[in-house]
Amino acid sequence: MKASEVFVLVSIIVFIFSLAYITSLGGLGQLPPVNVRVLAQRYLELTWNPLKPFMSSSGYESVTAIVWDFRGLDTFFETAVFYGAIIAAIAIYRGVKITGKGKTIGMSPIARTITRLSIVLIPTVAASIALHGHLTPGGGFQAGSVATVVAVLIIMVFGRKAIIRKGLTKSRILLLRSLGLLGIGFTAVALLLAAIALGVNAYIFQNQPKPFAPLGFPKIYDGMILGGSLLLFNFFEFIAVTAGFTLVLLLLSLDEKDVRKVVVEK
Amino acid sequence: MIEVFTLAFLMLVSVASVVAAYLAIRERDMVKAIVFSAIQSAMYALIFYVLMAPDIVLVYIPVSVGITPAVLLFVTKKTERYDGD
Repeated sequence: MKASEVFVLVSIIVFIFSLAYITSLGGLGQLPPVNVRVLAQRYLELTWNPLKPFMSSSGYESVTAIVWDFRGLDTFFETAVFYGAIIAAIAIYRGVKITGKGKTIGMSPIARTITRLSIVLIPTVAASIALHGHLTPGGGFQAGSVATVVAVLIIMVFGRKAIIRKGLTKSRILLLRSLGLLGIGFTAVALLLAAIALGVNAYIFQNQPKPFAPLGFPKIYDGMILGGSLLLFNFFEFIAVTAGFTLVLLLLSLDEKDVRKVVVEK
Repeated sequence: MIEVFTLAFLMLVSVASVVAAYLAIRERDMVKAIVFSAIQSAMYALIFYVLMAPDIVLVYIPVSVGITPAVLLFVTKKTERYDGD
C-alpha cells in the first residue's frame, strides 16, 4: 500500500469519527432518548404476560411476537413483495431450459468432502432457528437465509446440475415456495374459517383468544411452549424463503449464452 | 471497565469495516472486491452482536457473507472480472 493511499484511508477514518462525535453532541439534529421508549416497554411487557392473557402474545421472543403477531399483516405484505420479486425473476428467465444433463465441473475433492459434511449441519442449525424462533432469537426469515447457504454451496462446489439431479427442479422449488406462502395465508385466516364454521367471532391474524373472540392457537402443550401461530408462521416462512432464494440462485447460475439466446429471440 | 472495553472493541471493528470498504472500492479485481465487501459485512455483524441485536445477526451473516457474494460472483461471471479504465 502506497503512502498516499494510507493518507486517504486515515483521513476517511478521521472524517467518520469526527462526524460521529458531532452526531453524539447533537449537532445533526435531536438525539433519541437513552431510556427504553414507551412503545418498547409495552411490547416487552406484553410479549409473554399470563396476567394479561387478552393482550399478550404466545412466545418469549419479542421480535418474533412483533413480526408475526402484533404487526403480522406488515410481515405478510413483506413476504408477498418478496414473492412478487421472485415471480419477476422467473418471468425474465421464461423459456430458458434448465436441465441436469451433461458434465458437471465441480471443485477439488477437499472442497467436495467438506461441503458434504456441512450440508448436513447447516439445515440442522436452520431448523433449530426456525422451530425455536418463538423462544430464542431467530425466526422464519433468518432460518430461511441460513438454509439457502446450502444451495449456494451445492451450486458453487458441485455445480448447478447437481442440484437438479437431486430432484430439485425449477417447478418443484416454485411449488415449495407457493406451499410456504399458502401456509402463511392459511394460518392467517385459519381461526376465522373455524369461527365461521362454529358461528363465533374471530379476527384475521388472530393468535390468542381475545374478548368476544374465544378461539386461539394452542399456547402450551404438555408443559412445552408451542408459541401458537408464531411456530406455524416461522415454519412456513422458513420454507418459502429457502425455496425463493434457492430459485433465484439457480436462475442466476445459468449459462449466459443459453439465456441470451432465448431472451434475444423473444 | 467493561463498558470501556465494549466501546473500544466497537471502535476497532468499525475502523476495520472502514478499511475493508475502502479496499473494496479501490480494488480493480471484482472477485477480490467481493471478498473485501464480505469482510466489511462480517465486521457489521460483530457490531450488531455487541449492540445486542441477535435477530439481525442471524439474518445478516448468511445474507451478507453467503448469499450476496454468491449473487455478485454470478453477476461477475456474466460480465467482466477486471474493472478497466
